[in-house]
Amino acid sequence: MIEPGGVDDPLADGFAAREPWAFEEAYRRFGPLLYSTAYNVLGNAEDAADCVHDALARVWRSSNAYTKARGAVRSFLTVCVRNEAISRTRSQARRTRLSERLAAEPQEYEELGAGDPIERDRLRAALSRLPPEQSEPLRLAYFQGKTHTEIAAELETPLGTIKSRIAQGLRKLGAALRDGEGPRRYE
Amino acid sequence: MSSGEHIGELAELYAIGALGESERRDVERHVAGCTACGQRLGEAEDDVAAMEAARLQRDPPEQLQRRVRAMLHRPAGQWSRYAPAVAAALILGLLPSAFFWEQNRTMHAAMEADSAAIGRVASTPHRSVAFSQMSDGSAASVMYGPDGSWYVVLVRGASRALSVAWMHDGQRTMLGTATPHGDVAMLYLPKSHRMNQLALMDGDRVVAQAQLAY
Repeated sequence: MIEPGGVDDPLADGFAAREPWAFEEAYRRFGPLLYSTAYNVLGNAEDAADCVHDALARVWRSSNAYTKARGAVRSFLTVCVRNEAISRTRSQARRTRLSERLAAEPQEYEELGAGDPIERDRLRAALSRLPPEQSEPLRLAYFQGKTHTEIAAELETPLGTIKSRIAQGLRKLGAALRDGEGPRRYE
Repeated sequence: MSSGEHIGELAELYAIGALGESERRDVERHVAGCTACGQRLGEAEDDVAAMEAARLQRDPPEQLQRRVRAMLHRPAGQWSRYAPAVAAALILGLLPSAFFWEQNRTMHAAMEADSAAIGRVASTPHRSVAFSQMSDGSAASVMYGPDGSWYVVLVRGASRALSVAWMHDGQRTMLGTATPHGDVAMLYLPKSHRMNQLALMDGDRVVAQAQLAY
């Protein structure tokens, strides 16, 4: 079976070749995910729309941003948009507002009424199963957009340790969300 | 990360957004030429995409699809079509101003600004984006440094001076005026920050806007 947006999908070929139709198709398929990703970080519709547009424009203008080795177009674009959104929040002007909004994140997260409740519960369960030394830096990175150096300073833990814990935590979380596959292992 | 070194755990840090800008660029440069690291990064991106998909999903505004489509179908090198007109206008504008500069300090200042703009455009990498269409048929674009350190606003077919404003955070900051020389108006703006949205204004009325990407 061809996974939509996956590496075997013709979309990936078109996207790697920077064909306009492939970018349009990618937006048609993944627009809600990309917009929601930006919105989850930025917290308002106008900034989220600008962020998605600018992230796509950056990929469009870059000759080597995406290669098929990278895998699914959907995942690639999601991270592009998320990183673009995080860059924006790191600008000084938005920092205060973001902190206030993110302070309310756990409540909002609990109250989510839309989306796929099964997926949401799996994410929550997967996060709660991580050991605290992995889940804490992962939450600071994912929900608060902090860099690994900021997290290391905040948790008073060596930088190398924080890097490893975030990486291991993310791999375990991904494995849990992929129906119990074991986490991918890298030496 | 030193040159030639694989990205290792930076893949997961990149995917979750825990890297600073410069480390992020280092990772992007490396994976562009390293299949193994590209695969590892792609797998980390799968994990983050799965997390995002499990959160609240919202429909994007319809206008966003139009903006994306317009961006994709904008002709590459649009600025190059303006180059002959701008060059002619600059020659026509600069030579008289050079002759009369002692009598006209204002014009001389404009000439220096024009020269600085030409120097910037000619000597450094830059991006170009069109303003939205104007009702009087004139066409405008902005060229700018990828780091946001300078901007050149051009209006072709300009019949009057237009103000240039930076739109941000629900506010409008006036940057200067693009004054026609011949049928081309130009404004050079050396700045120290990235501006994402510019507007052309006729008095208090916004007549065109441009979205800038970095």
